[in-house]
Amino acid sequence: MTFRKQAMIILRRDLRIEGRSGEAMFITVPFGLVALFLIPLALPLNTELLSTIGPGMFWVVTLLFGMFITFRQSAAESSAQKEQLRMLGVDPAARFTGRAAASAMLLLVFELIVAPAMIVLFAPAAVPGWLAVTPLAILAAAGLAVIGTLAADLTASLRTRSALAPLLVAPLSVPLLVPAAQGLESIRTKNGILIPALFMVAVVLAVAVIGVVTAQPLEETT
Amino acid sequence: MKPRYALLGLATIGMVYGFSWASRMPGDAVQGESARIISVHVPTAWLAFLAFGMTAVFGIAWLVTKRAKLDHLAAASAEVGVLFTGLALVTGMIWGKATWGIAWDWGDARLASTAMMFFVYLGYLALRRATPDPVQRARRSAVLGAVGALQVPLVYFSVNIWRTLHQTQSVRPDGASLPTETLISMLVNLAAFTVLYLGLLLWRADQLRVEEARLAQTHLTPNAGAAVVPPKLQPGS
Amino acid sequence: MPHIEITDASVRIGRVPILSDLTLALRSGDVAWLRGPNGAGKSTLLRMMAGLMRPTDGQVSMFGAAPGPAARKRVGLVAHHPALYEDLTLDENLQLVAELAGVPKTRVDEALEAVGLSGARSRRAGEASEGMRRRADLARLLLVDHDVLLLDEAHSGLDREAGGLVEALVERCIRRQGACVIVSHATDITFASCTIELNEGRLK
Repeated sequence: MTFRKQAMIILRRDLRIEGRSGEAMFITVPFGLVALFLIPLALPLNTELLSTIGPGMFWVVTLLFGMFITFRQSAAESSAQKEQLRMLGVDPAARFTGRAAASAMLLLVFELIVAPAMIVLFAPAAVPGWLAVTPLAILAAAGLAVIGTLAADLTASLRTRSALAPLLVAPLSVPLLVPAAQGLESIRTKNGILIPALFMVAVVLAVAVIGVVTAQPLEETT
Repeated sequence: MKPRYALLGLATIGMVYGFSWASRMPGDAVQGESARIISVHVPTAWLAFLAFGMTAVFGIAWLVTKRAKLDHLAAASAEVGVLFTGLALVTGMIWGKATWGIAWDWGDARLASTAMMFFVYLGYLALRRATPDPVQRARRSAVLGAVGALQVPLVYFSVNIWRTLHQTQSVRPDGASLPTETLISMLVNLAAFTVLYLGLLLWRADQLRVEEARLAQTHLTPNAGAAVVPPKLQPGS
Repeated sequence: MPHIEITDASVRIGRVPILSDLTLALRSGDVAWLRGPNGAGKSTLLRMMAGLMRPTDGQVSMFGAAPGPAARKRVGLVAHHPALYEDLTLDENLQLVAELAGVPKTRVDEALEAVGLSGARSRRAGEASEGMRRRADLARLLLVDHDVLLLDEAHSGLDREAGGLVEALVERCIRRQGACVIVSHATDITFASCTIELNEGRLK
């Protein structure tokens, strides 16, 4: 069976499990929305300030809360499940790819829900051509998905996993956060999003390659 | 004499010489006397990058060879790197306060990125601490070290990509932009701190090796099953 | 040629020795009952035989070659805890295995029928009883024709009606010139052809 086919089966499995458990959509998304709601409550009542920070807060919430989508319990495989996949000849790299792809799709949905909420709550100033930031949102979802999936593998079976995995992901995601946050400013100043996008592509590819190459060694127990 | 003591001695001599040049530096027209801190800040920042790059190199080498010594070197390099990144941030903040009036400027992409690199490696050390099995610990931290090393070029080039407040790289390929005394002080300290890194690396790696060997001996671990005996509680008792 | 051969193998996890200096060979027709007290290393030995764990010292060969994906596919492993996804139905769990193994999905219907779970196929694994989960886990072995079966406490949770399932699966494997290793505390494996006694990581 080809790598691609194995990855697709794992992707479908993860999405089906998410469809049943609803952990990402009914728990993590509302959690992100609550966070977005809390921010203005902690700041002085200043609509101009809120409209300025709104887009940035979208990226921060996506990063800090979206990462929990990659750590969702329903995607955490037990040792027996991982061993079953190995016995079936599933390439660990295909497993990594399928899981990351599923997380990326769920993160896109997360962004699609949180973005309008941010626009309503923070009323950012309209930027002509703001839709051009869409590729950055897709790259941010892909990048966070590969980083989060790798962090989940690095912390598998550890007692402190629930705190350690976010600690690993947050700083590693900065190369995604900074160019993504630059995107709207680049559009506003008519500099285009090519450089931020290329930077993010480089980050996504580099982490994805490391995740794929190290998937098999990370599954070994001795 | 063990190599690490020789290296530490050499580093000390080098730093004394470097600081002597720093004392001869002219005060900067804008930054005043605080400009001298560049002779410490730049070498510590360089060491931070070097240490984290070497953490990745040693880690990848471990993945290939599985030699325990390489894991000890990787861990030691990360610890030294965390120390010097912290120093780079502190000296950077002191310099920033003296130069720009604020210790932390969010307009400075390099400062922020260096801080994030610091957190990546705190995460690295936390991962090592949380993984009890030595082989798993070496394997997982090797992978994280490789990913973390992606941060190093990001920091270095971020100044160019998102040009902000931070001084552009002081030594550019087409020539430096600093007075001679400052340049000599910085380069001497750069060499001295590199030797210091090597000395601390070997020292700490040896400590980790000794610690692991002591634990292996101290437990003289019996077979896992030897601890299990037939229960005293039986039917009819 | 033995199906699985272990030569002077030892396993250490961290500083803890689990298995020491094991040498054994599993040949066609063998039905080995692997016995030993708690902590003896039985599950570790099974995982090493399945090619999931490399020995710290010594060698393991599967079907005459080093353990690898091709060899592992010929081995059916039932672990201590069923490897089912809680949010998928029993049927979906088996469909997933069938898809990954590249076998027709019609085999899933036959497997569920064989283990007596046709009527419960739509129940989520997380909501099924322990016995149902164990039956579904055993049904996996009917989807693929394995040359070796490694069964770790496969009887646990099974009721009296389903108790013969393990023996039936073993018979099916042996008929195809396969070999089996069964770990069982609670049930005597009367149909075993030999016994492997393990104590403190060593063969007795």
